[in-house]
Amino acid sequence: MFSYNLKLAMHSFKRAPSLYFLVLLTLSIGVGLLCANLALVSSMAGDPIPEKSDKLFHVSMNTWPDDQPQAEPLHILRYREAMKIVESDIPTHSAVFYASGVYARDSQSKSLQRFDSNVRATTPGFFALTKAPFAYGNGFAKSAGMEVVIGAVLNQKIFAGKNSVGEILELDGELLTIVGVLKPWSLRPLFYHVTEGRAFNLTDDIYAPLETAIDLGWSIHARSSSTVSNTGVQFTRDRDVFYLQAWVELASKAKQQAFQRYLDNYSQTLKNAGEHPLDIMNELRDVNTWLLEQKIVDQKVLAFTLASVLFLCVCVFNASSLLLSRFHSAKFEVGLRRALGASNKQMLMQGITESVVLGLIAGIISLLLSWLFLKLSISFLPDLANIAVLKPKLLLLGMVLALVTSVSSALYPLYRANRYTISAELK
Amino acid sequence: MLIMNNVSRIYRNDTIQTHALRDFSLEVNAGEFVAVTGPSGSGKSTFLNVAGLLDSFDQGEYKLDGISVHGLKDDALSRLRNEKIGFIFQSYNLIPDYSIFDNVDMPLRYRGFNTAERKRRVEQALEKVGLASRANYLPSQLSGGQQQRVAIARALAGEPKILLADEPTGNLDSLMARQVMELLHNLNQEGTTIIMVTHDPDQAREVSRNIQIIDGQISDFKIYAPLQPSDKDKNAITDEEKSIKSPEVMDV
Repeated sequence: MFSYNLKLAMHSFKRAPSLYFLVLLTLSIGVGLLCANLALVSSMAGDPIPEKSDKLFHVSMNTWPDDQPQAEPLHILRYREAMKIVESDIPTHSAVFYASGVYARDSQSKSLQRFDSNVRATTPGFFALTKAPFAYGNGFAKSAGMEVVIGAVLNQKIFAGKNSVGEILELDGELLTIVGVLKPWSLRPLFYHVTEGRAFNLTDDIYAPLETAIDLGWSIHARSSSTVSNTGVQFTRDRDVFYLQAWVELASKAKQQAFQRYLDNYSQTLKNAGEHPLDIMNELRDVNTWLLEQKIVDQKVLAFTLASVLFLCVCVFNASSLLLSRFHSAKFEVGLRRALGASNKQMLMQGITESVVLGLIAGIISLLLSWLFLKLSISFLPDLANIAVLKPKLLLLGMVLALVTSVSSALYPLYRANRYTISAELK
Repeated sequence: MLIMNNVSRIYRNDTIQTHALRDFSLEVNAGEFVAVTGPSGSGKSTFLNVAGLLDSFDQGEYKLDGISVHGLKDDALSRLRNEKIGFIFQSYNLIPDYSIFDNVDMPLRYRGFNTAERKRRVEQALEKVGLASRANYLPSQLSGGQQQRVAIARALAGEPKILLADEPTGNLDSLMARQVMELLHNLNQEGTTIIMVTHDPDQAREVSRNIQIIDGQISDFKIYAPLQPSDKDKNAITDEEKSIKSPEVMDV
């Protein structure tokens, strides 16, 4: 019966191509627009590291030294607090880092072309904590040493994607050896650094040992706060300069509580020593709580998504009224089929088969339209480039949405068609 | 075959109620050819619709081939319609963009037959009405009489117990009307039970029984005297007429 229903659906499309084209277009635009918006929201609101997002915690501390404290605990720390975190053996892994930037070139290359590269100056725990995927080599083992790990993009630019472990990079005039190369690595959002509008930046080009970066004076390319004159990163170790972000991996609730006590005890010790006058208020925020607090999902995008849901409803109503007129004009055939022995259920299945076929076609068109909408969005708003991505689950959602809307559009017309008095349609 | 006892059908709207059938009783035996006549609005079509399970009734009892249809759900009614009843309509009711084969095949699709069985039945039915060679034609490529024969083939394909015909010759000229009537008589002689609504007194006289419906009730069982053998001869199609090709027939 299914193949017969399929044949009837095709026949129906041939009979009224303009009407079905309009129905398809109406549903496709509605679903396409919503999918494009959902793609943005999904990238913004997605869990970037679902396997352990509840075990990774961002550390904020309240150790501002003077009597004009920040309203909230600071998300950036002084060097000495950061080192206190690294010293602790409570976390499974910890990472303390700051963002910087250098110009990079292959030291052996005859070309003098240098590539502007983002740097993550970090402790070694970063790689295990973030599950950074290595293509070649490993992370560096210590926070000091003339070694770096590079990302896939930079490796492609400088070494054409080959295994460059052992090669020497010239970074702002200094020579550092590559010990690891990452695979293409995408984190949406870039959870370890979502502040300063970086939530949807690409992962970094270079990962350098923290102490080395400080010693080499690689400047801070993110927010820093200080109560003293800051003349260079190399002088920050013993000064009240707040610039390091810290993440820890705590495997259990007990470890989380233990680490909270560890931080609070440390703050209390500082307070007792008169180094800050503030209440003890250190915060551990897991990945999703941290992303939520940072409001990385653009409220305008959310509002537009809501608007596109309403627009889709309008599209469904429109498609439904178009289909109603189609079914109305097919009253004779419905009556005839019923007279010849088709049950209401069989007619319903015929109508649903037609709307499922319609939904599948609408799904394909709507995904193409989504892709087009996202491309257009990127051309108008280049900042969306790393967010406007149609993930496989969204493609699936688009198809499901198209099917659901198509069947929904047909439900009322089908209900009406099944209420026709058979004898009234036949003479 | 068909037994109706005190069947009533009332149509209601906000202001009036119309008794289309009132205490209507009728028994039709297997193999009968019954003509139903009566003035317009008398309830003939309502009777045919109720008999064909296309419409419900408000009171009374209706048994079709021994099955009481009262209270049956849509699925069961549809199955009964499909298996036991063949419809022939005045306007043929063929789907214009389906081939003759597909039109005849339509009721068989809802019976669940496999492809081979459906093909066999469609070909057999078309053979019976003399249109086997036109299976791939569209209805618009046939004359009115031929279209009605296709409709008869569609009604026959399911091998129903009873044929219900609503003015089957109403849209045909006299020659084609006689061809269709001859086909119906042949089917009746082969054992098919037929109930036919008609306005034509001659056709009513030709059949084994005729009834007249007035105001939703049977008024008289024998309004028209049965045809004498000599009358039947007059109505038969002559060889000369058979050779005349209707101007509506198109060879494609």
